[in-house]
Amino acid sequence: MMIRQCLAIMQRELFYMWRDKSLRTILLVGPLLGLLLMAGVYSSQRIENISTAIVDLDKSSASSQVITDLKNSQNLQVVAHFDTFSQLEESIKRGEVIVGVVIPENYGKDIALQRQTKVAVLIDGMNIIYATNASSAVLTVTRTLGAQVGIQTLIAKGIQPNQAQEAYQSIAFPEEAWFNPTANYAYFLVLAFALNVWQQCCTLASCMTIIGENGRRSWYQIRTSGISLFKLFFCKSLVHIGILLLTVLPVYFLAFVVFKLPLACGWSSFLLFTLIFILALHGLGTMMSSLSPNAVNASRYGMIIALPSFLLSGFTWPLQAMPQWLQHVVWILPQTWFFQGVSFLTFKNPGWGFMSHYFWALGLMAVLFYSVAALRLMVRDFPHKG
Amino acid sequence: MIDVKQILNIAHYEIMRIFRERVLLAILFIVPLLYASMFGLVYVSAILQHVPLGIVDLDHSQESRAVVSAFENTPNFKVITQVSTYADLEAGMKNGLVRAGVVIPADYSQKLAQHQLTQISTVYDGSNLIYGFNTRKYFQQVLNTFSAEHTAAYLSGLGMTKQEIVNVMDTVSYSLEVWYNPTFSYATFIYMGLVLMILQQIGLLGIGLTVTREKEENSWLQFLGAAVPQWKIFIGKALPYFIANFFNFGFLMWIAARFVNVKIEGSVGLILLLGLLFDLIIVSVGFTVSVYSPNSLLVTRYLMLISVPIFVASGYSWPSTHIPAVINTLLRTMPYTWMAEGFRLLTVKNLGFDFIADKIMVLILMAAATTFFALTFPKRRKPPAQIGLAVNSALDYPNKNF
Repeated sequence: MMIRQCLAIMQRELFYMWRDKSLRTILLVGPLLGLLLMAGVYSSQRIENISTAIVDLDKSSASSQVITDLKNSQNLQVVAHFDTFSQLEESIKRGEVIVGVVIPENYGKDIALQRQTKVAVLIDGMNIIYATNASSAVLTVTRTLGAQVGIQTLIAKGIQPNQAQEAYQSIAFPEEAWFNPTANYAYFLVLAFALNVWQQCCTLASCMTIIGENGRRSWYQIRTSGISLFKLFFCKSLVHIGILLLTVLPVYFLAFVVFKLPLACGWSSFLLFTLIFILALHGLGTMMSSLSPNAVNASRYGMIIALPSFLLSGFTWPLQAMPQWLQHVVWILPQTWFFQGVSFLTFKNPGWGFMSHYFWALGLMAVLFYSVAALRLMVRDFPHKG
Repeated sequence: MIDVKQILNIAHYEIMRIFRERVLLAILFIVPLLYASMFGLVYVSAILQHVPLGIVDLDHSQESRAVVSAFENTPNFKVITQVSTYADLEAGMKNGLVRAGVVIPADYSQKLAQHQLTQISTVYDGSNLIYGFNTRKYFQQVLNTFSAEHTAAYLSGLGMTKQEIVNVMDTVSYSLEVWYNPTFSYATFIYMGLVLMILQQIGLLGIGLTVTREKEENSWLQFLGAAVPQWKIFIGKALPYFIANFFNFGFLMWIAARFVNVKIEGSVGLILLLGLLFDLIIVSVGFTVSVYSPNSLLVTRYLMLISVPIFVASGYSWPSTHIPAVINTLLRTMPYTWMAEGFRLLTVKNLGFDFIADKIMVLILMAAATTFFALTFPKRRKPPAQIGLAVNSALDYPNKNF
């Protein structure tokens, strides 16, 4: 009898969710569309070929060597040669080039005569992603160029070639990016942004749990029918949680199987972590639902939290760079635990000992949110005796 | 002579509605401030410094200590002393204790003494590329300085005088100059883009319910039946939201400049023009969406979801030069893309009208088109379509007060 009642409630909830056209579209299309859009945006994966312009006021063989070295740089792409500084300035203003290199007059002659000369390098700092990459590329090139000129100067001064080389090149500085060796932006952000869209869609669905019942006139029937509210909302929540988990599966399939984004941990751990987050998020949505007089406000309350949560989670701008007190406050959001956990599990897999905190925190949050929702429902909506 | 009394009456009625619905009032005036403050706090430090760094010094010589000092003496890194072995570094990188590492080999000083090539390995955490790219830049800066010092010491060992060393090493110097955002302030880079997104989101959510609310209360019929032309209904209903949005635009910009230290330069006239155009587009789009939507729940759901994809794909953070043409073209149909780009060129690069004329022209055209649709919405009294058994898709949605 009890199982049949549960199945009936779950069947009814499935029917309700399917007939809710906008929610159906949002859940079926939203996360996938989010993933595909993000995959498209970050399809170039790396910031290479940073457009670079050169103003060669010297036009000597020495300045040609500088240009050749710049052209051979991995991340810089020489796209223009200008005759004057003002042309370069205009081009940077218009955003046509990001890096400008000005080789002064008499550059070759000054080097030959061992007189000091200065090469100006300008970087458009408006977009920091560009500027940071451009700076690193420029600093690498200038160190190499500086060493070349220094070695030539020393040899010209009568120093032995091997000593001259040793003076500049006795220490190599290899660099390595761990967990994401090619510094691939798609690995860093595509899944995270897609999951951000997904968690917003989930929030919208979760915010209907309670108000979807007590905001309808049929609520009076339910109250008088004697059905246990616990059973009703437990069965409803089971359906919601199952659906939310199902909506993320195609996202994971595309992300990890088709786009081959990194997944350092196993599938089972990642799905289990997703499930525990769904519980916490659904609990939060259910709580918002219990506090709202109507479905619009429930969606608003839920989304007011869901919208900024990704930014606050520290997934992009690191938590350590936020004010100390804020670093603690943001952990009250389940999204912070989730996005931090996603980063650890997909790139590093630090093991159960480390990740267990994340599971516990999300589990406790789920219990807390559902408890508040239940209390609120009992206080405001439970039929009074007599 | 246009009779403005009807417009003002409708505007007055709308203001009363806003003040009566506390959640809407909060959305219009409190939420933008809340979001702006939150994001301001996130980015208030602006520059990523004190990157936690683990140094594995396997040599423990005077020479290797010079390397350690080079990293200790920069505010860009914070050396974490718990890390002293390679295993510590691996564990620290895995659990987030450190985000970068330097490994000095055991034979570092020996190889230097034997005039053999040696190396200092640097590693950084690629799982967060904001950390990663900044760390790489900081590494280059420290190593360039360290390398120069090492060369100077070597030349000194060859018997060259200080002046001779300076002459050799400064034969070619490179002056690296970063324009428009020389401190690499993330606040200047991203904050106003987020603020403009907040303004769009909140602006649309405010006016997006203005007609659906009337439909749900059956009062929209009175607007449709009254002898008031469509354009007056639109202007009257949109006016309070237009003023609120413009107030928020100015207020949040003041917060950005005053408290978050965002660089905002450029012509005040052009900033206001961009703000007015963007505001006009928001209210006219929001009103039109509201006219055609069956209920407030649908408007809220759909409008809430658009902000993240538009922001990410707009080219504001990840440069549009590295985004496929099809997505760029799609995003060019969004006013936010033009507004954010124009606003940044104006306020960060401090460029004049010539440089943003195309952005202003596109925004004017968008404003004209969206306002036209809003001003001429159909006043047909169409009964709701029979769509069979539907949940939350007709005129009603779960509401305890219905």
